[in-house]
Amino acid sequence: MREVVIIGVGMTRFGKFLERGLPDLGREAVWNAIEDANVPPKDIQIAYVANSIGYQLTELKGTIGQHVLAAAGFFGIPIINVENACSSGSTALRSACLEVASGNYDVALALGVEKLFCDNTARSAEAMASGTPYAKFGFMFPALYSMNLKKWMEKFAITQRQFAKVAVKNSKNGSLNPNAQFRKPLSIDDVLNSRVIAYPLTLYMCSTMGDGAAAAIVCTRDTARKYTTKPIIEVAACELVSGTVTLPDRPHEPLEARAAGLAYQKAGIGPEDVNVVEVHDGMAPAELMLYEELGLCKEGEGGRMIDEGKTEITGPIPVNPSGGLAAKGHPVAATGLAQIAEIVWQLRGEAGDRQVNNPRVGLTENAGGWVIDDNAACAVTILKR
Amino acid sequence: MAEPSNSEPATEKKQVPVQEGLFYQPKSPEEKPYLIGAKCTVCGYVCFPKLPVCPRCVKKDTMEEMHISGKGKIDTFSICYAALPGFQAPSIQAYINLEEGARIWSLITGVEPSDEMLKIGTDVELSIGKLREDAAGNEIMSYQFRPVKTKQEGQIA
Repeated sequence: MREVVIIGVGMTRFGKFLERGLPDLGREAVWNAIEDANVPPKDIQIAYVANSIGYQLTELKGTIGQHVLAAAGFFGIPIINVENACSSGSTALRSACLEVASGNYDVALALGVEKLFCDNTARSAEAMASGTPYAKFGFMFPALYSMNLKKWMEKFAITQRQFAKVAVKNSKNGSLNPNAQFRKPLSIDDVLNSRVIAYPLTLYMCSTMGDGAAAAIVCTRDTARKYTTKPIIEVAACELVSGTVTLPDRPHEPLEARAAGLAYQKAGIGPEDVNVVEVHDGMAPAELMLYEELGLCKEGEGGRMIDEGKTEITGPIPVNPSGGLAAKGHPVAATGLAQIAEIVWQLRGEAGDRQVNNPRVGLTENAGGWVIDDNAACAVTILKR
Repeated sequence: MAEPSNSEPATEKKQVPVQEGLFYQPKSPEEKPYLIGAKCTVCGYVCFPKLPVCPRCVKKDTMEEMHISGKGKIDTFSICYAALPGFQAPSIQAYINLEEGARIWSLITGVEPSDEMLKIGTDVELSIGKLREDAAGNEIMSYQFRPVKTKQEGQIA
């Protein structure tokens, strides 16, 4: 397998764009990535396009990738449509990387594009819940997070206030990110006094609907030097797993931990080598559990990490400098590639006001969907400068 | 038969299961509801809803249908104030450890949605109840669990 690097990333701002369709959002992200990579568009040989909800909420009912890339000027190349719920974007990146790693192509594009706002909010909510066939029973994702969090709170004496601190940190980071959907820094009281969704979750701890797109262009290291003088970012690992069924006599290993284990092994590093992280905090408190599942701290120490400010932009292991899903926004299939874009900017030193101090290794975790009693998919990607 | 003594003419409202083949809804008070799950004849793995292949053995034709009595304990629960259109809020959502060994998701009904009324380990039992109404006014029925009544409360019922 050949070494794969990222030479360009791009995204739209995340937000509510009623007047913009999937092709318009996708075009902007793709062309931002093309300009960032300084690659002639005709050198891109293959594209993986991630979208999760578009066929339900827009007039595009299939081959969304071809429709979106037509607006960006792409015809003739292989275009593959990817759907893996909230982890669709990372799944597209992984496939693009494998095309280059295998020697099949030298330059590949991964795009995630999503549009959740439409003229009917109830229809959007139903479409978002469609990541599982359980919505018809009244199953609610926030309640699922809440149940897991309550067990964990009890086990390690974690408080709701500590969860609120995660939302406060991420809203502060989001306020520094011009691409973020929500740019208002929140106080602990703001978060704790916002409407209860499902204890311990309050409104400001939860990600909401968003529109947007993000893209990355990958190639071999040799090819990269033809195009760009920017720091080249190596994809050291991009590992994907699906969920498992809990068996009564076997402890459940979180799929995030399994994906991270595979990624660390592939990259030949450990969690102690990681300098900056973007995690999939569909609900902000889940970030604390992820500190442990990704090995950023020992089991039971997640609460202390946030109390001691270790995951602030200025801390030793910054997490979600972009603002995370709650502040930056969560246009489902675009999220994974927006995480990648953030880490690329951080590793290149281009992250502006939210720049982490000289990171060399970054990690993203991107999970989604729900099957029986586990997430449907989880991808962990490790990038190195 | 304990037919309701309703003098009004019967409306066209129907009770429709949210999904076929998931549970049995009693047709008379003598009958009890049950969940339609499956059990692996080789390793004993029990699941609901039923899976055609045992995730532990991963062999052909080891799963057979099993009626699950619907007695269990709350493993964890959440009172959820957000709901999809047509569903009631707040709802009590829970994972339940069934006597037969499966851990399943369900709504909890028959109790006020407050943290004082329920706790982890509360004994619950299956009931078939209305989940919501569809546009035509039909009652969409689903499996639900409710706290087991204590002896004293049970005598009143």
